[in-house]
Amino acid sequence: MAEEFNTESMLDMFLYESGQLLEKLEGIILEKQDADCFDDADINEIFRVMHTIKGSSGVLMYENITKVTHKLEDVFYYLRESHPDDVPHMELVEKVLAVSDFVTGELDKLKNGDTPDGDEKQLVEDLDEFLGRLKGEIKKQGIQMPQANKHVEPTQFYITPVAGDDSHFYRISIHYRSDTQMSNLRAYSATYALKEVAEDLLYTPDDILSNEASADVIVAEGFHMLLQTKSSKEEVIALIDSSEAEEINFDELSKEEYGRALSEFGREEAAPAAAAPASAKNDANKDAKKEGPKPGDYVVKTKEAGKGKTLAKNQPKQQSIISVNVEKMDALMDLIGELVIAEAVVLQNPDLKVPGLELSNFQKASGQLSKITTELQEVIMSMRMMPLTNTFQKMRRIVFDVSRKLGKDIELEVVGENTEVDKNIIEHITDPLMHLVRNSVDHGIEEDPADRTAVGKSTKGKITLEAKNEGGKVYISVKDDGKGLNKEKLYQKALEKGLIENKPINEFTDKEIFRFITLPGFSTKEEVTEYSGRGVGMDVVVKNIQSISGRLDISSVEFEGSEMTLVIPLTLAIINGIVVQVGNSPFVIETASIKEFVRVGEDSLISEPSGEEYIVLRGECYPFIRLNERYDLPDSNDKIEEGIIVVLEHEGSQVCVLIDKLLQEQEIVVKPIPPYVRKVKGLSGCTQLGDGSIALILDIAGLLMHDGERR
Amino acid sequence: MKILLAEDDFASRKFMDKQLSRYGECDVMVDGEEAVDAFMMALEDGEPYDLACLDVMMPVMDGYQVLKAIRDIEAQKGIPKSKRVKVIMTTALNDERNVKMAFELGCEAYAGKPIDVEKFEKVLTKLGLI
Repeated sequence: MAEEFNTESMLDMFLYESGQLLEKLEGIILEKQDADCFDDADINEIFRVMHTIKGSSGVLMYENITKVTHKLEDVFYYLRESHPDDVPHMELVEKVLAVSDFVTGELDKLKNGDTPDGDEKQLVEDLDEFLGRLKGEIKKQGIQMPQANKHVEPTQFYITPVAGDDSHFYRISIHYRSDTQMSNLRAYSATYALKEVAEDLLYTPDDILSNEASADVIVAEGFHMLLQTKSSKEEVIALIDSSEAEEINFDELSKEEYGRALSEFGREEAAPAAAAPASAKNDANKDAKKEGPKPGDYVVKTKEAGKGKTLAKNQPKQQSIISVNVEKMDALMDLIGELVIAEAVVLQNPDLKVPGLELSNFQKASGQLSKITTELQEVIMSMRMMPLTNTFQKMRRIVFDVSRKLGKDIELEVVGENTEVDKNIIEHITDPLMHLVRNSVDHGIEEDPADRTAVGKSTKGKITLEAKNEGGKVYISVKDDGKGLNKEKLYQKALEKGLIENKPINEFTDKEIFRFITLPGFSTKEEVTEYSGRGVGMDVVVKNIQSISGRLDISSVEFEGSEMTLVIPLTLAIINGIVVQVGNSPFVIETASIKEFVRVGEDSLISEPSGEEYIVLRGECYPFIRLNERYDLPDSNDKIEEGIIVVLEHEGSQVCVLIDKLLQEQEIVVKPIPPYVRKVKGLSGCTQLGDGSIALILDIAGLLMHDGERR
Repeated sequence: MKILLAEDDFASRKFMDKQLSRYGECDVMVDGEEAVDAFMMALEDGEPYDLACLDVMMPVMDGYQVLKAIRDIEAQKGIPKSKRVKVIMTTALNDERNVKMAFELGCEAYAGKPIDVEKFEKVLTKLGLI
């Protein structure tokens, strides 16, 4: 790692290192927040982290950071030396987090090119006061006071240059008219004028004053300059004397380009213009029988600064991870999707259906091809997979912050944080998950511990964050052991707000009642707190989850707790589906949502006078939809005996649809329905089949919703 | 306070000279070799410099060589650490390896160019020079 960063400036290095250390620190703290105290290893580690940051911020002279970390280092010094008992652990954790937040804030300021000017006084006072109490405690416990922590003031300092971020880099080429006299002096006056504003100026030919022949070179090849300055292009142009100049080329360069241009200029950055006098000097040195180091020997060569990183990547042994632009990954993903379609087009080509063809070799080859495309898919999927660790880490912090603020004692258990999920999905679930976690802390866990003991639970609340991978779906659940949802209360509330039909409570299933909380405008909490919203939250959560074809399951038992589960497809782009036919139109149904295929007789059908139809299967009654009627498909069969009934399930509700026949099962590349087609309920996308025809993908949730509305 | 300034670039030299002259008498050198000569001379006269500001990229001898030479001479003459001249490197080479290298060679401070005058002054205070 160090190798890769060695061309970074001191400041970048400091920011990078400190950032890493703070991340590590936060990890330790949050892991041990519920323990009774830190163990020796942790104390040492925190001490070391603080010591390091203190040291480097001292060298760079960020005094507020130095002071704060210094104080915390002191605290941990005493902990390390004296091992006092009864350290107020929670308070200590808070202090460490406060310091970590402070330093992180200051580092952010530095990253943005601002001055780290945060006021550290309050924090230092707090720490002082804490340290005072700690020392008192140490004395009381009769432990020998360790010698005061000796601090070595840094003896070496690094003065960061005045922020150079707003510097511009220019490449300027001046071509003089061929009859220009003394072009070298003109060139010199140009460099002289620019020196006023230049932070760095380099020109070629570089011996314009001492070598009169350079005038000819300048006329022939032009005079080239590289300039680093804070001035704008216009200001610089105004400084250059343009009389006699035939052409002035002016390019603004990025910092990287400038670095490259420097090496193109052949600048011995380490020892500029030293070549000639140095060799003369060397001869003199030889006489003194002491071959001194040449100028630049000690200077670490930075000539290749611009190239350094790419060079490192050319050496696979050192570099086993490369970062790739996500767009490229997406493009690759798309291409592989197209490949899967193209494969289907070839393998199921109508030309192959000619009777009497000898296809055994083709079948063998196609089997091989299918295997490779499947593997290719798996590889690209796994490339996009990322563990949920970071997301869950954020949740730890939220639980900690919110529970402290609300004065609730809550422990967070994390299960399966290594579960891997598509990167796209991680981006989409972070916010909803955060919301669910906050809700659990705020609304889920009882405010009064007495309420908990009254129903035989421990006073400490518990929230479990769990992720698992099952059957192509990811389940992420947030479970609390709090008061649970009160069905009666939810029902009343929803009724009051006019969010539901006026039906008696027993006509709703438990799940339907729980789902009230996801309706827009619903909030059971009378008081809106800082952390959980006004009931706009849950419906936003559901919308976010639905946008990635996921769903939210809610289950709850009053007084025992609630569980919110996000169920999300592992990947979005390719699903396993069954192709079916209704009339002349193919449809795709996602395999995972199919419960069964059955053939039933006319006698299983119940028709209501209102036109609704139901199918009775083994004594259970399911709503029945004729796809041909719904989508006006001609030439399809209407007789139930001749078709096939498919039982579909989504979020616990079932629906039956009538189809004509089953075609095949295959991997389906989901394409959105193009925007110029009006949005049709019950269809979620389309795909291209092997014979080139377009199949529509059934959206079970949409079908159910549509069905519900019709009733 | 006696100050030694070694800087080959005219603009920087003028700027530094102006800044440093506020704190004391400032001798200005244009290359590394001159700087070492001046340092030797001052030492022999018994009026050693208190502060040396060295550019890194200089002709004949670069700043690092000067720094090393100065520390070598001091070691040879048995000058105690506390009495050594305080050295501040001034350079646009800000990458970490160069800075570390300078610290290893024994400079007191490393100032990236363009120089932050406020911080520069702070360092002088910390070094006990002003």
